Amino acid sequence: MEYSTIHSIFTVVLFVGFISFVIWAYSKKRKTDFDKAANLVFDDEQTAQQKTKQESDHE
Amino acid sequence: MSHTNSLNVDYNYSVVRLFALTTVLWGIVGMAVGVLIAAQLYWPALNFDTPWLTYSRLRPLHTNAVIFAFGTSALFATSYYIVQRTCQVRLFAEKLAMFTFWGWQAVIISAVVTLPLGLTSSKEYAELEWPIDILITLVWISYAIVFFGTLVKRKTSHIYVANWFLGGFILTVAALHIVNSMAIPVSAFKSYSIYAGAVDAMIQWWYGHNAVGFLLTAGFLGMMYYFVPKQAGRPVYSYRLSVVHFWALIALYIWAGPHHLHYTALPDWTQSLGMVMSVVLFVPSWGGMINGIMTLSGAWHKLKTDPILRFLIVSLSFYGMSTFEGPMMAIKSVNALSHYTDWTIGHVHSGALGWVAMISIGAIYHLIPVLYNQGRMYSISLINTHFWLHTIGVVLYIVAMWISGITQGMMWRAVNTDGTLTYSFVQSLEASMPFYLMRFIGGVFVVSGMLLMAYNVYKTVRAKEQTLQPVPEAA
Repeated sequence: MEYSTIHSIFTVVLFVGFISFVIWAYSKKRKTDFDKAANLVFDDEQTAQQKTKQESDHE
Repeated sequence: MSHTNSLNVDYNYSVVRLFALTTVLWGIVGMAVGVLIAAQLYWPALNFDTPWLTYSRLRPLHTNAVIFAFGTSALFATSYYIVQRTCQVRLFAEKLAMFTFWGWQAVIISAVVTLPLGLTSSKEYAELEWPIDILITLVWISYAIVFFGTLVKRKTSHIYVANWFLGGFILTVAALHIVNSMAIPVSAFKSYSIYAGAVDAMIQWWYGHNAVGFLLTAGFLGMMYYFVPKQAGRPVYSYRLSVVHFWALIALYIWAGPHHLHYTALPDWTQSLGMVMSVVLFVPSWGGMINGIMTLSGAWHKLKTDPILRFLIVSLSFYGMSTFEGPMMAIKSVNALSHYTDWTIGHVHSGALGWVAMISIGAIYHLIPVLYNQGRMYSISLINTHFWLHTIGVVLYIVAMWISGITQGMMWRAVNTDGTLTYSFVQSLEASMPFYLMRFIGGVFVVSGMLLMAYNVYKTVRAKEQTLQPVPEAA
């Protein structure tokens, strides 16, 4: 196979791959998982409630 | 000391603290050298006829200090912090992490000594000679082991998007550094690149532009994806966009290097390819910027009261501005006007001082109180003053360079009807002089802001633990 044919096929494969990846990322199925992931930055914080609970545990 | 009150995970903050403090130190040093060389362009006598104080030797010292000492220290500090907090686990291989700190400081000190001595490989942003390059490689591989080791032992199932950007940055910088630094040593401090001619130029700018793309962009985007949501108190605007942003950005950036070599001996098709890829790069760049700024939607009022958040959000505006300007300048016809002029210097600084420095400063102001068990920084109003000093400084700088650069470009290309050049080079230099003064003043503003930051950090670090109470949030 010619060099340019391989390159053309590769370009199309990359393009299709990227589009399917975008569709996957924006599918409804991913929503809950992504929402959870987005909140990871806050997950290791203690809520005010937990804090008071922990403090009362110490008493 | 290393205890935090979050989730009972015992994080390693010692190495984070060291890197956070050196970020401030090297920021001041690197930017002060920048102000000195800006002054030299206006008052040439300031090189005092001393070889190691000449512009040609101090300029690489300035770029190395701000990129690799200031910027990369900020990346080390924040990446070690983010990876622990979002994986909810203590750092992997802590001794190795400490080695990355001291090893990196050794690299910086070597640069501070060798560059003024005139020891250079002459590759832009990769000037350091081969023994230092080997040390950089060792530190960087250790960095990768610590970072990815921590990811492997994470307690969370998902790897938060900031870590994807940081991981991409660490891996790519390793590849860039090793490939571009391939050289044949001829003595302890002299080596020759193994590449020759146009290939050498292409490898150099594949390295150079991806140092921008992966160190100064992907790394700091990792910082953005953690600190903007954290400081704003709300999750990132769109997590799915952040995932697409990551893959699109890293897939495209790697191709943009040839735009540094327009109208050179580089094959024409390579130049055109680099141009097209640079223009397309606008899309993921703005996707990321919008994602960061929109995180604030519904909470815009916080910008009024929180100068740290203002640093972070304004950094994104500068990011948006420079990632619009960059693709435009990569277009060959625009590049014909802008290349080799001060416009390029202005573009770099709107990215470096606007985006990289402002996001780092915001992140450090967020970090210092957490690392030293305080509710807030010593003085919020000093942060506010710093914000305005920095912003005014950056605007003065980039406006001066726009005017000077476009003037140079127009004067250099002006021809008389008989085909001779209208202006001599010195005439264009004279036209630039007022703007060199303006740039110097802008730089002074920026460094003054950094000094205020150092004072504020010092007072916060020295304050008795938990004496600085957080500001109650306005309802």
